[in-house]
Amino acid sequence: MSDGLDFEFLIDTFFVALSGVPIALLITVVSLLIALPLGFLLALTRINKIPVLNRFAQVYVSFVRGTPVIVQIFIIYNSVPLLLSSIFKEYGININVYEINPIWYAFIVFSLNTTAILIEVFRSSISTVSKGQLEAAQSVGLTNVQAFRRIIIPQTLVVALPNICTATVNLIKATSLGYALSLHEITLRAQVAANASYNYVEAYLDIFIVYLIICSLVEYLFKVYEKRLTKYKSAAA
Amino acid sequence: MEKYFDASYIFEALPMLIPFLKVTFYVTVLSVLFGSIIGLILAIMKLGKNKIGQKIANGYTTILRCTPSIVLLFLVYYGVPALAGSFGIDLNSLDTSVFVIITFSLQFGAYMSEVIRSAYESIDKGQYEAAVSVGLSPVQAYWRIIFPQAFVVALPNFGNSLLELMKEGSLAYTIGLIDVMGKANLIIAGNINAHALEIYIALSLIYWVLSIAIEQFFFRLEKLFSKGKQVIKTT
Repeated sequence: MSDGLDFEFLIDTFFVALSGVPIALLITVVSLLIALPLGFLLALTRINKIPVLNRFAQVYVSFVRGTPVIVQIFIIYNSVPLLLSSIFKEYGININVYEINPIWYAFIVFSLNTTAILIEVFRSSISTVSKGQLEAAQSVGLTNVQAFRRIIIPQTLVVALPNICTATVNLIKATSLGYALSLHEITLRAQVAANASYNYVEAYLDIFIVYLIICSLVEYLFKVYEKRLTKYKSAAA
Repeated sequence: MEKYFDASYIFEALPMLIPFLKVTFYVTVLSVLFGSIIGLILAIMKLGKNKIGQKIANGYTTILRCTPSIVLLFLVYYGVPALAGSFGIDLNSLDTSVFVIITFSLQFGAYMSEVIRSAYESIDKGQYEAAVSVGLSPVQAYWRIIFPQAFVVALPNFGNSLLELMKEGSLAYTIGLIDVMGKANLIIAGNINAHALEIYIALSLIYWVLSIAIEQFFFRLEKLFSKGKQVIKTT
């Protein structure tokens, strides 16, 4: 073991780790874009107790929250190619499923995972908006869609935002597990760089710093956005 | 080898995996124990009057919350022996479970400090004043009045953190700890990667059942302790 830290390597690898940030953020953004509407809709089914969907959402949330993300990743990574290859065979599509870019699996895993988290977030935040708000909106002639878009969702968002922030930060942290999909994001890039010279301590320090920076930034951005949204808060109180 | 799905492997894998739960439990319990101690110290620092203490405790929590478990795990796994090595202590022969426990204690401490702080702050200050005014000593007031009430408030959050810890603990396989997750990977490697899906499904079933059991346990416990108490209803 070398004595002390290898600072030159520390700085070089920092930029290697930094080059993985776009992929980590891309996964985060895509997952959120899929999970936000889906989570909201499924939360509505939970609240309105729509027969089959309600039960499905309940079991789904319980499963995703009850199992480690890494196990979910492995399950998707092993089951999707199996499913796809049988579908492709059925319709005679000639695509090799084992050559699909792993980022697609990452999109699937993390959006499924985040959807489950967001169902719970939205469920609790929608229930804080009183029913009278919807009835009042309808009574002044708004359609259901309008009422939700203009009245319910802004109020829900104020309550849900801190939890969405936590979910986002957790999502960014979870993308570090992308290495299991051989996805070249922050963690794997730095690991590969470290493999050559066994400078693991430096590499992990770099990864640690990169995540710290991203997560602090995300938390800060959410704080700013939360401030802007508080104008809707007076209605909720 | 042709890949196909065979559900019988799920049931075959279960009895092989379940004995290794004791490693998972052992790591989880020790991490909870040490983590709670760290959390208590941090919470005391946060609630104390010392500005520097508050800064340190809050900074610690923020940093630990922003670090993925896997990064922290490797940082401890490689960093601690290197750090000890520079002081002339050789830790390379240490059991991997020690590093896992250190990692998750550090992480659990950060979560617990928030749980304890919010539970303490949820108790009305008047409770302490009332207790002291009827002649209890400060220690008695904390032990008999504040603690039992804060405990009930902290229970659900404690349960959630425990679940989180157990799930994150599955990452310990990356540094070579053989818990349920590690054993599952060993079985798959032994099968030359065949039937990985079935074994992971078996694994997920184990975790799922465990999570539901823990959730229910804490739910019951909370009900039991809040019996006869006037708890403000939360939605």
